[in-house]
Amino acid sequence: MKSLIFDSGPLISLTMNGMLPILEKLKKEFPGDFIITPQVRKEVVNKPMSISKYKFEAIRVQDLIDKGILELSSKCIKDTLLEKETNALMKIINSVFSTRYEKINLVHEGEVSCLAFSKLCRNENAIVIDERTIRMLIESPKNLKDLMERKLHTEIKIDNKKLFNLFGFKFIRSSELIYIAYKKSLIELKKNKENLEAMLYALKFTGTAISSKEIKEIKALA
Amino acid sequence: MKEEENVLRILKEAKKAINENNPSEIKKLSDQTIHTATISQDSDNIIVAVLVYSLAKIVEREHYREMPGWNKFYSEFLKNWDLAISHLEKKELEEYRDDVGKIRNAMNKISSNLGEYISDVFRKAKINKAFKIYEHGLSEEKTAHLLGISLWDLAGYIGQSTISEAKVNESLPVKKRIKIAEEIFG
Repeated sequence: MKSLIFDSGPLISLTMNGMLPILEKLKKEFPGDFIITPQVRKEVVNKPMSISKYKFEAIRVQDLIDKGILELSSKCIKDTLLEKETNALMKIINSVFSTRYEKINLVHEGEVSCLAFSKLCRNENAIVIDERTIRMLIESPKNLKDLMERKLHTEIKIDNKKLFNLFGFKFIRSSELIYIAYKKSLIELKKNKENLEAMLYALKFTGTAISSKEIKEIKALA
Repeated sequence: MKEEENVLRILKEAKKAINENNPSEIKKLSDQTIHTATISQDSDNIIVAVLVYSLAKIVEREHYREMPGWNKFYSEFLKNWDLAISHLEKKELEEYRDDVGKIRNAMNKISSNLGEYISDVFRKAKINKAFKIYEHGLSEEKTAHLLGISLWDLAGYIGQSTISEAKVNESLPVKKRIKIAEEIFG
């Protein structure tokens, strides 16, 4: 049994672009569960439920939960255990980078709860995350260090021992999900690369951290 | 409060720019607390960034001055701005924070359309400053939480920017990430 663990960002961009039906079709093709943690649910359902502008979107995500397309992490891991692991990981991640004077708190509980679930569930899994910081921190910490040094005009130190605890996570974005859906002919639109490109740009404009160059490369691979 | 002197300087220079009717200078000042806001995540610095940016937007929109409620709002805004400067100079932090709270609350007292417009300016200023902090490397959720805004608002704003075009963001080659996706679905 595999798990695909969803951070808030992909659910937000897929919802805003009316692409949630694709997620339903992908679920049928997936040999495992689509998971959301309580912390992510709070961001994509509970909080927007009280904002008129996003209430409809929140209802649509909740509908996927009701249909069992997205399953709550408590199905496999108790919430208390997940929270404990999330806090432990937050402590590590938020002390990997520091300036001369203080540690930099980079992340919050939603995204880290996805890492915690990935670590605890012990099956084959990947995290679907659109925002760049977590991915950069784990896949290419030097890039994140360079970016922050350039922006903050100060030297950033990396605690490599702490970073060592963060190996082994796999990340994809909503753009890769759409690529898979395209390859499996799960998209209602006519199967051509122009349509794929348009969908990838739609995700980009609703927050997926993907460059035009990467979109071009995905289009070429499709 | 972190970098008190810097906050004080920004408040003073913003006041000078208001008197000179120079919104672009005020906007520049609003970004000068972002470094501290990113590193120390000090709420005083974050609030000043939002307030100063909002002020720039309000000053920029000259038609607001013709609307009912403007005079009362603006005079209270400026009065509390001066008080905030004076209290910060004397290192009276509690009083300073109270003044800042009053500046933020001044908009709630306007019952006309102007109140809605100014509330919207503050809301958008928060999103703008969240984006600036995100640009400096904090995660999207962390940033949204610091500014008290919705991830849904921030995601849209980030998407409209060119931030994801930077080569430095590409932490894994496209082919490798596609391979991960294919393997997990395989």
